Order: sequence, then structure tokens, then C-alpha cells
Amino acid sequence: MEAGDLKKILETYDTKLNEKLSLNVTSLKSINLDKAEKNTQSILIYRIAEIVVFSLLTMFIGNYIGSNWNQTHLAISGIIVGVFTLIALSGSIGQVVLLQQIDFAKPIVDIRKKIELVNSHSLLFLKLMFLSAPIWWSYVVVGSDYLFNIDLYNNMDANFVLKYLMVNSLLIIPMVWFLNKLTYKNLNVKWIRKTIGFFVGTKTMKALEFLNDIEEFER
Amino acid sequence: MKATKKQQFIKTIDEHKKIIYKIVNSYCPNKNDRKDLEQEIIIQLWNSFDNYNSDYKYSTWMYRIALNVAISFYRKEKKRLVKSDFYNEESIFIIEEDTNNELTELDYHLKLLQEFIHNLNELNKALMLLYLEEKSYEEIAEILGITKTNVATKISRIKLKLKKEFQKI
Repeated sequence: MEAGDLKKILETYDTKLNEKLSLNVTSLKSINLDKAEKNTQSILIYRIAEIVVFSLLTMFIGNYIGSNWNQTHLAISGIIVGVFTLIALSGSIGQVVLLQQIDFAKPIVDIRKKIELVNSHSLLFLKLMFLSAPIWWSYVVVGSDYLFNIDLYNNMDANFVLKYLMVNSLLIIPMVWFLNKLTYKNLNVKWIRKTIGFFVGTKTMKALEFLNDIEEFER
Repeated sequence: MKATKKQQFIKTIDEHKKIIYKIVNSYCPNKNDRKDLEQEIIIQLWNSFDNYNSDYKYSTWMYRIALNVAISFYRKEKKRLVKSDFYNEESIFIIEEDTNNELTELDYHLKLLQEFIHNLNELNKALMLLYLEEKSYEEIAEILGITKTNVATKISRIKLKLKKEFQKI
């Protein structure tokens, strides 16, 4: 097919549309346009709810750290839990910022990226979950102290705690390496694709795949 | 005041109805879903109507919105809910469908071309539609948000693919 042939086909199609395409003004007028909502409205409500929850948790953790400042182990556990809560909170704030920037009148690639970053938000929680693995004891220490008033640390053998801390510290390096791999850029790697696919839903997976397509398109 | 705005909006839609029609047809192979996509595009256009930036042509603004909505629609899961009961008809339609069942060679080629566009991914589909509308590389780049060079490279690749497809006939 040469450019001339293509042009001929299109001209025929355009002529047909010019002749036969019509606008049903009555139908258009009947659309209750004023009731139209932004598509992003419901997601925005979810993300704002996340911000409220994480803000409350941050305040609670801050208060917990302050009240237990004299007991180093409780304060450190609280700080670790607090850091994770802050990461989750900043992730949700970032999502609200992205949602506010979504304007369909802007260039397509830019908007698609923002939309798919919103759709793939659950990957952040997956990463936080994995990153929590070496320090999961912080959650247990804080939880048992706050909920049941049991200080687990005081009931543990010092040697056990030391060994436990060493082993878990060693886990941090492979975990950080692993988390760096968990991105849409590595979806071509089978085990990464399977890991992400196993933990996040189809919607997130589709969003990540599309982010990959967008990057390819921009090249 | 509001009536004037709505009238102006309807006039704009009427002038550019071909854009909506072509995008809806390219992104929505299922005829039954077309009115839903058309509705979403019109609503989004209305929502953005006040913020129209006169630095751009109406058609550029319309393409961006319609393509963004169409891509979102296309990517939604199949289970689509009918969002309203006030909109049951297509607003933009062909007055009379061809009753003549005999396809001319041009019709046949047009069908092939449409099929080719259907099979492209979401972003390449947008690029191809804009190219077929004879938009300049600059305007395509502006609508899509990629560089002019990138537009040129991608179009030449798609054209090559299209040529191969038509050679199969």
C-alpha cells in the first residue's frame, strides 16, 4: 500500500462520513451533563481515607514513642513502625497529588502514566510488606505492649535477642536488592512477574504492564 | 448564560463529530458499548469545556480528551456498568447504513485498514488515527506528549507494517 492508495481510501471514508454523519441534538441535550462526576473521584475518596488512617496511626505512634522514650527497646520498635507508617502516608499523599494532576486535556502519555501510577498503588504496600520482613518483631513488640501490656523484650533471653537481631539485620541487604527488582521495568523477568502477579491483583498487574508499554512508546 | 454555554458546546461537538465517531469506532469494537464510550467522551469534554486553553486548536484539545477517555474505557475490565438511564441512544450516528451488500475494492481496503488499526495497541492506535487525520508531526507530538522525532520513527514503522499487511492480499 502506497501513500496515495491510503489517501484515496481515507478520502472516500471522509466523504462518506461528511455526507452521512449526523448529530442527534435532542439526545445530546438530554444528557444530564451537570451531574457528571470526575472519573477519579471515587479513587480520590479512597486515597483520602488512607491519608486519614495513616495520619491517625502516625499520631498514635508518635505518642507511643514519646510515652516510652525511657525504654529504649520500645522507643526503637515504635520508631521503626513509625517510619513505615510515614512511608505509607507519603505514598498516599503522593497519590492524591497525582490524582489532582490528572487532566484529560493534557498530553496523553503524561496522563496515562499518572493514571497507571495511581492504579499500581498496591505495589507500594507489597514492597512495604516485604521490607517489614526483617523487622516484623517491631510490630509484635509495639502491638503486645499496647494491646496486652506485655513487654516481650523483657521476657526474652538476651542472647536470643542478639542472634535474632544479627540474622534479621543480614536480611535487610537481600531484601533491599529484591525490592529494587520489584518494578514494572523488570516485568520481562519471569520470577519477578510471577512474584508481583501472585501478590497484587489483575488491575495492578495490568497497570504495571501498561507503564512498561508507555516507556517503550516513549523510546 | 448556561444555555448559551450548552449551545456553544453542542455547536463544537457538531463541528468535530467526526473526531468522536472515529475514535469511538477504533477503540470500541463492540457496537453495543459504543454509546457508553461516546457518552463518557462527551461528559469529559463538557467537564473540561470551561478550561479550554485557546493556545491549542479545538481539535487538539478534543483529540487529547477523547483519546484519553477512549484509552481508559478500552482498558477497563469487560464488566461495564450502564451508568445512566438518560442516555440510550448514540448522539453521533450514520444516517443510513449501506444496504448494498456488495463491497467495492475501496470498501474492502477500508475494512482492512480499520482492522489493522483495531489490532494496534492503545498508544499506537492513537498515533495511527492522528496520522490518518493528516495531522502534522508537530501536532501529533503535542497531543501525545512525545517528541517529533519519535512520532516520525513510529509512523514509519507502522506504515511499513501496514504495507506488509496489504501485500498479503
